[in-house]
Amino acid sequence: MKSFSDYRKYMTILKLDEAEIQSRRAFFTLTDEDLQRLASLRPFAEKVTEEVVEQFYSLLLAHPETRKFFEDDATIRRVKRTQREYFLGLFAGKCDREYVEDRLRVGAAHERIGLAPKWYLGAYRQYLHLILNALQAELKDEERVRAAFQSIQRIVFFDVSLAIDTYIAANAEALVRHQQAIRELSTPVIRVYDRILLLPLVGAIDSIRAEQIMESVLLHVVEAQAKCIIIDIAGVPVVDTRVADHLLKTTAAVRLLGAQTILTGITAQVARTMVQLGVDVSTMHTLSRLSDGIELALGMVGKAITTAAPPAPASPSAVTPPVVGGTS
Amino acid sequence: MIEEILATHELKLVTEDDVMAVRRRVREIAEMRKFDTFAIAAITTATSELARNVVVHGRGGTAKIEEISDGLRAGIRVVFTDEGPGIPDIARVMSGGYSTARSMGLGLSGSKRLVDDFDLESQVGVGTRVTVTKWKRF
Repeated sequence: MKSFSDYRKYMTILKLDEAEIQSRRAFFTLTDEDLQRLASLRPFAEKVTEEVVEQFYSLLLAHPETRKFFEDDATIRRVKRTQREYFLGLFAGKCDREYVEDRLRVGAAHERIGLAPKWYLGAYRQYLHLILNALQAELKDEERVRAAFQSIQRIVFFDVSLAIDTYIAANAEALVRHQQAIRELSTPVIRVYDRILLLPLVGAIDSIRAEQIMESVLLHVVEAQAKCIIIDIAGVPVVDTRVADHLLKTTAAVRLLGAQTILTGITAQVARTMVQLGVDVSTMHTLSRLSDGIELALGMVGKAITTAAPPAPASPSAVTPPVVGGTS
Repeated sequence: MIEEILATHELKLVTEDDVMAVRRRVREIAEMRKFDTFAIAAITTATSELARNVVVHGRGGTAKIEEISDGLRAGIRVVFTDEGPGIPDIARVMSGGYSTARSMGLGLSGSKRLVDDFDLESQVGVGTRVTVTKWKRF
């Protein structure tokens, strides 16, 4: 099941080993005594579960922003059942790996359905309020209520910390996935003609991308038995010494494979900046326009672009009269 | 000449992404202040070089971007500060072709040529501060 592996991986991402769980518990002052007290409240919990969960969902369903997450009666029945299990879980008197895993499942599920932390936190505040009411109604004794509620608060905040960390980890993960997707899109090597390749570079070139460009270029040069690769940098916002260095190294490697590099798309601003920086790109063929680069490349493989002969005019009057054979 | 600081932006410089964020910010400010395209390329590129120095050689630091005016012209000043190892031989790094890490060693000398004012302070074991200013042309 997908959700199973989904939340399990957060155990690893958040480094929730035994030591981390202990250190978290210590910071939330969630002691063994608290866990024992929670376990002793189990009969109370079983008695009030139904009531607390029903009240909680009537609050969520009354609010238009949270109601959106409960489309039909089947969903509501399912989440109420999960909620009852969750509620009783608070009074299990345990806070081990298994417990933490179960809590991550809750965080991951909320993240997956796109429930923003503000709704989660707001709803939890109401949840605590309902629990306090139930405690007051059932336990009567003010001191017992205070002690019980303090233990509940500790385990609840511990839970909330896990849920929020899951939200953050899930977002960070999405960001990494997007970066990977962009990187994969960012080095498209195109075969423009037999043995001529084109790499249009768009966007900033960081060191990871520079490595990728180098590898991608070399693989394609070998595969296409290219004589020449045109690198167009018109879409690169900043050409500094680092970028120039990468381009020169790529050129040197391409040359080892017996091919040549043509650098095109150099703007007036980039030309001026490179000269002021003192970058020497004399080992590369450099041209301003991509079209000039293509012409130069074609020349390297023994081809040329020529202007086609004008098409034969359509009007018969212009047709040269056939020359009748003379004396032979 | 009395200068007026119109706005200050302080950005951290720890990763390569920070380098891009700082130079993007500098470019945005230069564009907003209607610098010409050559000046925009120059200050953005100098920022890229110096910000990367902070990350690569200075073990991270900060960039403070100031939008300034001398009453007649708008300018951009960027102060790069790190608490890294410092530069033992400033004259040598400024001559170009000097490098302690893989690069072309043109970063500092090249940046100086790209800006109007360039100031480098460095103390071995304490850190390095580079201040560059680019003025908008009349």
